[in-house]
Amino acid sequence: MNRPAAGRVGVVALRVVRQLKRDRRTIGLIVFAPIVLMILFGYALSGDMSGVHLGLVDGGGHDALRAHLVSIQDFDILRLGSESDAERLISEGRLDGAAVLGPDGVRVLLDASSLQISGAIVAAVQAGTATERAGQETTGRTKGAESAFVSRYIFGYDLKMMDTVGPAILGLVVFFFTFINAAIAFIRERSQGTLEKFMVSPLSRVEMVSGYVLGFSLFTILQSATTLFVVTTLFGVPLRGSPLTAMAVVLLLGAGALVLGAFFSNFARSEFQVVQFIPLIITPQIVLCGIWWPLQSVPEFIRPFSYMLPLTYAAHALRAVMLKGAGVADILYPDLLALGIFFLIFFAAATLMLRREVA
Amino acid sequence: MREIEPAISARGVTKSFGRQRVLDSLTVDIPSGVTYCLLGPNGSGKTTFIRAIVRLLRLDGGEMSVLGRPVSEVDKIYSKIGYMTQHKALYPDLTVQENMEFYAGLYGLKKQQREARLEELLEMVDLSLHRSRLAGALSGGMYQRLSLACTLIHEPELLLLDEPTVGVDPRLRQTFWEYFNRLAGEGKTVLITTHLMDEAEKCRMVGYMRAGRMVAEGTPEEILHLAGLRPILKLWLAEPERDAAQLQAQGYEIEVEDGVVQVRLESHAQIKEVLTSVSPLDMRLAEPKLEEAFLRLSEAT
Repeated sequence: MNRPAAGRVGVVALRVVRQLKRDRRTIGLIVFAPIVLMILFGYALSGDMSGVHLGLVDGGGHDALRAHLVSIQDFDILRLGSESDAERLISEGRLDGAAVLGPDGVRVLLDASSLQISGAIVAAVQAGTATERAGQETTGRTKGAESAFVSRYIFGYDLKMMDTVGPAILGLVVFFFTFINAAIAFIRERSQGTLEKFMVSPLSRVEMVSGYVLGFSLFTILQSATTLFVVTTLFGVPLRGSPLTAMAVVLLLGAGALVLGAFFSNFARSEFQVVQFIPLIITPQIVLCGIWWPLQSVPEFIRPFSYMLPLTYAAHALRAVMLKGAGVADILYPDLLALGIFFLIFFAAATLMLRREVA
Repeated sequence: MREIEPAISARGVTKSFGRQRVLDSLTVDIPSGVTYCLLGPNGSGKTTFIRAIVRLLRLDGGEMSVLGRPVSEVDKIYSKIGYMTQHKALYPDLTVQENMEFYAGLYGLKKQQREARLEELLEMVDLSLHRSRLAGALSGGMYQRLSLACTLIHEPELLLLDEPTVGVDPRLRQTFWEYFNRLAGEGKTVLITTHLMDEAEKCRMVGYMRAGRMVAEGTPEEILHLAGLRPILKLWLAEPERDAAQLQAQGYEIEVEDGVVQVRLESHAQIKEVLTSVSPLDMRLAEPKLEEAFLRLSEAT
């Protein structure tokens, strides 16, 4: 075998540089993708939260604590008549938590499916009670019992990190593989000439994309069934709702990922360029969909973008089905509706992009 | 006699890509029920013309009709067209039979018809023994043959074949041509692009394209005639000078080279006439080559 020679290494390096120099997309990716991703991660991990829905059952007293909670701009306070209302709304996922103020003390009701939000609520109540206690000390009233609070998990007291993240990961896995596989499949249809041949056949564009959705769906069912099995049996993530409902969510998400992949395949010339979609299309969804940290911690100026991403709705729906036992009716709005709209938009876009005629 | 409508009729068709004019006022009629060979060097516009016929690209100008319909409506008759691209359009991860079944399904062939076509075509392309092999595992020539079989599966009226015999061995190429001519005999139109001159000679009609224009068109004999090329009968004679003078006196165009008398024939029918005048010791017929004809015609234009 020849000994490594610097000259030959240089030749290879020069060729790589020359190729990359002509590939503007890759250069753009090398330079800008890390910046965008760092910004996204940075903001999402900053720990600031806003839009936390907190129920407030005001049974009298605790003026300082109430004032403190109401003054927190990041909290949307919903005043409720009774503790049972608060419990119900938390169970339904409409409230992130509630503070019940009464003469017998303060109770904080929490939803443990998002530990970060629970932490933020507890911290806020803690700060409020501290203020209250300080006020009582200065006025000479030191009835400690009034200032203390107890927290109670209405839901999810037994949940572990994997339990809260698992359902969303199920969606992520299916989305990731379906998107990549679909994009590569459409690239191949182009490169091997089959797409051109379809264009000169009775097969319509709608039929073609529909055929893909149907074919891929069979694999999505298989994929979601196996992933669901692993997540529930191996990691003990609860499945309180129907597995069929969970699979319906995954199926709709998979269909959306497929048409998204078909659409984006128009912007890639090779499988190599499909891989470049991962940091552009997949990673932002992972960061912004609320899997790892709640949407409330996504900065407000980026949050509308979170609500445009299918994984956000799928993750929310899967958590509801698996952890709270939600049925189809419970996740119809907004989750299934949003996933359906996303699918339809990109189905139309993917179909329209399959142009026969070249100008 | 009622004139038969051509399968494809193009009138002043133009197409440019940027500044490059690929089809330049191309006018051509491709009659129904013939094998028509589109010849020309690389970049002469052959593939562009075929793609325009099936409306894979939009023309800048001119008019074209396909099987009696304006080209703008060609999508309504796709089931009557078989289109074979240079890309082969096969799925390497499907078997030979699965590829064919897929295309049969695309054109809505019923089970019985599909099975019959499958057997017939597998035999024609000599792949019967390889039906269960993955297309990706086939040799280049076999892959090409499978692509042709998939194109023919729905018995199209109009076949557009872009270089269908590349990589196919001569024996099978012969089978292909017999099949194409048989299809033409059944009234189907077969338009083929090739850069192989000997293949062009097997076609009923030939069109020679250059820089987006039709330089010459007709039967191979007509093209040769147009280029002034005729068959030459070479005669080895006992008395070449005397016989040459005699043939010349009868009005034949004669050349004597190294003692061999060369008679330029108007048609093959003249061979018999020549042989009644002279008795050669040996003779050979030199057919003119289409290649030479096209070179001449290209130079002339």
